[in-house]
Amino acid sequence: MKLNQVWNIFRKDVRHHWIEIIVSLLLVGGFVQVEIENWSQQGAVAFGGASFMNAFFRGLAVPLLPVSWIFLIVRIVHGESLAGDRQFWVTRPYDWKQLLAAKILFVLAFVNTPLFLAHIVLLLKAGFHPTDYIAGLLWLQFFWTLLLLLPTAALAAITRNLGQMLLAILFVGLFVIAQSYLSSMIRDSNFSGIDWVDFALIIGGPIAIILRQYSVRRTTQSRWLLAGLAALLIIIMVATPYRRLIARAYPPAAADFPLQMSLAGPPAEIHYDLRDRVPLPIAFNVSGLPSDSFVELNGVILKLQNSSGQRWDSGWQYGGLTFFPEQKVMSPRLDVTEDVLDKLKSSPISADLMLAFTLYRDTNPRPLVVPRGEFLFPGLGFCSAGSGPISALSCRIALRRPTFLMVSSDMAAGTCPLSKDEVAPAPGQIVRAFIRGTPNPADPELSPVITDGITFWQASNSRMSGICPGTPLTVSNPEEAGRSSVDIHIDKAWFAAYMQALNKNAH
Amino acid sequence: MTSAIQTDNLVKKFRRVPALQGLTLNVPAGAVYALVGPNGAGKTTAIKILMNILRASGGRAEVLGIDASQIRGRRFESIGYVSENQEQPEWMTVEYLLTYLRHFYPTWDTNLEADLVKQFELPRNRKLRHLSRGMRMKAALASSLAYHPELIVLDEPFTGLDPLVRDELIQGLLDRAEESTIFVSSHDLGEIETFASHVAYLEDGKLRFAEELCSLAEHFREVELTFDVPPTMPPQTPTNWLQLSNSASVVRFIDSQFDAERTNAAIPKIFGEPRNITFSPMSLRSIFLAMAKSARNSA
Repeated sequence: MKLNQVWNIFRKDVRHHWIEIIVSLLLVGGFVQVEIENWSQQGAVAFGGASFMNAFFRGLAVPLLPVSWIFLIVRIVHGESLAGDRQFWVTRPYDWKQLLAAKILFVLAFVNTPLFLAHIVLLLKAGFHPTDYIAGLLWLQFFWTLLLLLPTAALAAITRNLGQMLLAILFVGLFVIAQSYLSSMIRDSNFSGIDWVDFALIIGGPIAIILRQYSVRRTTQSRWLLAGLAALLIIIMVATPYRRLIARAYPPAAADFPLQMSLAGPPAEIHYDLRDRVPLPIAFNVSGLPSDSFVELNGVILKLQNSSGQRWDSGWQYGGLTFFPEQKVMSPRLDVTEDVLDKLKSSPISADLMLAFTLYRDTNPRPLVVPRGEFLFPGLGFCSAGSGPISALSCRIALRRPTFLMVSSDMAAGTCPLSKDEVAPAPGQIVRAFIRGTPNPADPELSPVITDGITFWQASNSRMSGICPGTPLTVSNPEEAGRSSVDIHIDKAWFAAYMQALNKNAH
Repeated sequence: MTSAIQTDNLVKKFRRVPALQGLTLNVPAGAVYALVGPNGAGKTTAIKILMNILRASGGRAEVLGIDASQIRGRRFESIGYVSENQEQPEWMTVEYLLTYLRHFYPTWDTNLEADLVKQFELPRNRKLRHLSRGMRMKAALASSLAYHPELIVLDEPFTGLDPLVRDELIQGLLDRAEESTIFVSSHDLGEIETFASHVAYLEDGKLRFAEELCSLAEHFREVELTFDVPPTMPPQTPTNWLQLSNSASVVRFIDSQFDAERTNAAIPKIFGEPRNITFSPMSLRSIFLAMAKSARNSA
């Protein structure tokens, strides 16, 4: 009986690589086991209280599993190597589409299917019903296929053996390091404006390489294609008009923007111990934020100039600040290097600051009193509260965190025991926790069960606070209500006072 | 179709280094065609272009009436290719290699497969990596003959094999010569002179000659001239006179375009009248060596 080529090649690959297959399947089993053991230590997850051995095996099983997939894919692609001119199969009547289909079938059978089954087992063991999460489960398969399996297959398609493959991985690693370094050198490049272009190239490039190699085996051209792709990513990174994108994403605040800001006076004293960075404690008095809203400071651009015409520009810096209605003073974290300050301070300095905000409006607030033991947190997963003064909520979440969930609590209503000498908080001191995920059907994790420790903090002083059984919570879903930028000029008088305070510190 | 392989001004360059410089060949269907030449002459490059393993830099090549650049996939159902430097799936046993490949060929003949395994005394259950070089070549040949290919292409199949294994391989080939065209490359004409019907000589990527083997021997003669007194060696001789040498009153050379009348007429004009002239036929091995040496000297 004449077998279909796909099946014939697939059977041959299984026969050849059975040891690698078994090792990979054992690792999948180990990964499932370790994940389940982690949940059995619920409550310890958030603070890393897992046993040493468990942590060790978890630390080993999780990275080894993708490594075993990489190895398996490299081995089966190299089984009918596409690079080189000495392979036995190139002068046999292989149909390239059937060869490629056989390799895809192998990956589906021994990478995707075991992972899918492992995900189902994990969801079931975690108390979730897999049929409720089909889209997320498929998304995870899609994610791992596009971001790991596909690039691996593309590299295997342009290499002849494991040695060449390791060299290729090394080159990719060096490229990533170089790209990160370059990114740190380019001002504003940490504003992620056109990630989808990079994403399309990272997905499209490997697909093009794989198809080209299997159809016509032009290895040199395919290697150039990969090099071209890397060059294109660099060019995009360098040539992206970040300022224009920032300006488009954060238009100047309109008259109805609720945040009113006025520059607070310069500090009387400045203390700093960072070796070559000098803090620039610019603070604003803030008002006007409605009680159901809050803002996130997404980024800051600081421009300094002196009377002699010398200028300095910080580029887009991450804001990392959330501001709530009960707060009255906003202090973005800003600093400059001593070199910059030394260069500019020869004549009076002034500054222009651009602050980029996202305004959120709180929607759908609902109450929840934390029960004792494990409970179903609606819209999140299974959670349990600890009993210590700063205990967090430990939660198991299926596939994805909510796009944006805010949990708040009035500290005065807290049920956690006060620590020695601690004064009971006054009403109105709010602690909050954010749970944020991607809008995709699954978060980019290896496990479909996400274990999160949800910690609560007070916005005004960044202090963490505990949540214990019986604590009343308010759960809500903040929704983006707009993005705006605010330009603020800081005059020479402010800087003169600042420089004086700085000099006091120096003395 | 009268030609199994046809090339026209085939050129291959590796970066700027020429490997083939305008190779024009015509391999008639049914022939046992030997492509000979020293190592580095371009034989393997030519074969790899014919098998679409390499791309030509210029010119064109057809195999079984199809442009060589289109030879892939099902086209190989009628082509058998065995090369000394081809990687084999060494983890496979002989049995599994044959079983695996069987499904690729609609014309696979299991009786012929059994005959070939028996004829070549192949150990079915042994892995290819555990076979001797000769055995591996036999396994490769068996797996390339069992589907009655129309064209069998062999790239240096006998290199490094002991004479016994070589004879077994040749016998295996000859048994199937009637139904196939055989195109074989070798750096040693002596290896293939017993069974080739045509021969082409390639050197530095250029074709020096290509013709039927029986007429080739007619073109070459070893010429010995005996003089009464040592003759003066002329500064120039016809280009087809190779390896001219003298020892006292005897002059020897090889005429590569021998024609008794023309040679007899040319000798007195160059050397004066000799006392005696002998024309000796040459073996193909001697012809090959003469060609190779003269090319090396002229280089």
